[in-house]
Amino acid sequence: MEDYLSNLERKSISLIREAKAQFRNMGVLWSTGKDSTATLWLCRKAFFGTIPFPVIHIDTSFKFPEIYEFRDRIAKEWNLDLVIAKNEEALKNGTSPEKGKLDCCTKLKTEALKNLIEKEGFDALILAIRRDEHGIRAKERYFSPRDEDFRWRYIDQPAELWDLYVKPSEDFSHMRVHPILHWTELDVWEYVRRENLPMNPLYLAKNGMRYRSLGCMPCTVPIPSNASTIDEITEELRTTTTPERAGRAQDKERAYMMQKLRSLGYM
Amino acid sequence: MIILALDALDQDLVEKYKCKNLMQMEHGQTDISDFELPRTVVLWASFLTGRNMEPEIPVKTQWEFKLHSAETFLRFFKRYVAIDVPAFSLKEKNHAEERTLLKKYFDEKVSVEDYDSLVWRNHEENKRDFFNSLGRFDLVIAYFDLADAVGHLSFGIPEKMSRVYRELEDIAREVKSSTNDLTLVISDHGMKPVGRFGDHSENGFYSLNHEWKLRLPKMTDFYQLIKQKV
Repeated sequence: MEDYLSNLERKSISLIREAKAQFRNMGVLWSTGKDSTATLWLCRKAFFGTIPFPVIHIDTSFKFPEIYEFRDRIAKEWNLDLVIAKNEEALKNGTSPEKGKLDCCTKLKTEALKNLIEKEGFDALILAIRRDEHGIRAKERYFSPRDEDFRWRYIDQPAELWDLYVKPSEDFSHMRVHPILHWTELDVWEYVRRENLPMNPLYLAKNGMRYRSLGCMPCTVPIPSNASTIDEITEELRTTTTPERAGRAQDKERAYMMQKLRSLGYM
Repeated sequence: MIILALDALDQDLVEKYKCKNLMQMEHGQTDISDFELPRTVVLWASFLTGRNMEPEIPVKTQWEFKLHSAETFLRFFKRYVAIDVPAFSLKEKNHAEERTLLKKYFDEKVSVEDYDSLVWRNHEENKRDFFNSLGRFDLVIAYFDLADAVGHLSFGIPEKMSRVYRELEDIAREVKSSTNDLTLVISDHGMKPVGRFGDHSENGFYSLNHEWKLRLPKMTDFYQLIKQKV
């Protein structure tokens, strides 16, 4: 297992260094979840302990108190250049999950990030997505261009043969860099255990429930589980048939589809 | 000639479920990147006329939009039948019912099973009309929305989608065994998952039982191709 994890780690670190060499103004997104925390750790390893670019946390203000506590503690311990993206205007206007989950996500996450990219002029962002999370993510590349509306044209992606990552010459606003794209959920937890990484306590079971994926409080539910240690989590993942995001996003996906079908003229 | 117009038939799933009869002799993706949104009525209207109809078909009134046969490649055929073809001979009542139930599903008034059973019922009706027409016309073009309608609410559920693709594969198999006519299987767009749901993707699918050696044809290319071939 150690060789396997070391191989994953080696490739991820090389991707992070390649991105740093290619882009002049990069940032890394950190939700404080297991994937993005492992990615921060990889960034630290890539640059010998200090992350040489901003760490961006999108704050919807609807997150769990444990997330904010964990964020502030780790930012201090790891000496992070923490930048918080928050859409204050939308919050002032009353945007909240009760008034529409899709609208809430768009304004408090997507627009907050768009505003920050515009303000700070980021040309690349590191994200901790993985191919095994979702069918559509299986089509992702390590270097994935986005246009100014954050649109992703997966049919036009660079091929990435022989580990060559080519920047498209035009028609993109920023690059998404995915250094742990090739990892699985189990790989992440194995790595967390091997590296003894700090982890949000919400992942560990309490009274027969735990969070397997962390989001905003109103839109995330725990799953039944007795896994109260990292060892128990990895054991659980070897046998589970429940999707990772089962506790999340159903409502959001439903709302997204409803809006999409409207735009396509179905409703 | 026979045209199976299969809404949202996706190349990845055709290959995944090994639908050899849908793939025929030659198959591949179509390019619909000229369109801003992969809208069903727009894409079929553009397929029929050979030109991009997007600017002429507003979203709100698209289901009422109707072409005259003189504007389409149907005019190249002496005797043709077009079964439930969007922008031409759409069975308005059936599709209005499907859309109403879709809305009710999102309003949590009906279950996905209620919606599915209506979609399958309409599909059976089109299938009956289609097989009754075979051998009686120079062109039979039949539209089936099964993959699209079921896929919108259940694309992430493999059991349901494999049943849909098996059904469409069975239709293609029966066509192949009953006629040697030139057969084009074509979709307007593919589908991509959004959790358990399905969204239109930006590539359609085509296949032929003759070799035309097409490379990523556009939806609008088929007008001229059909004109030349017939």
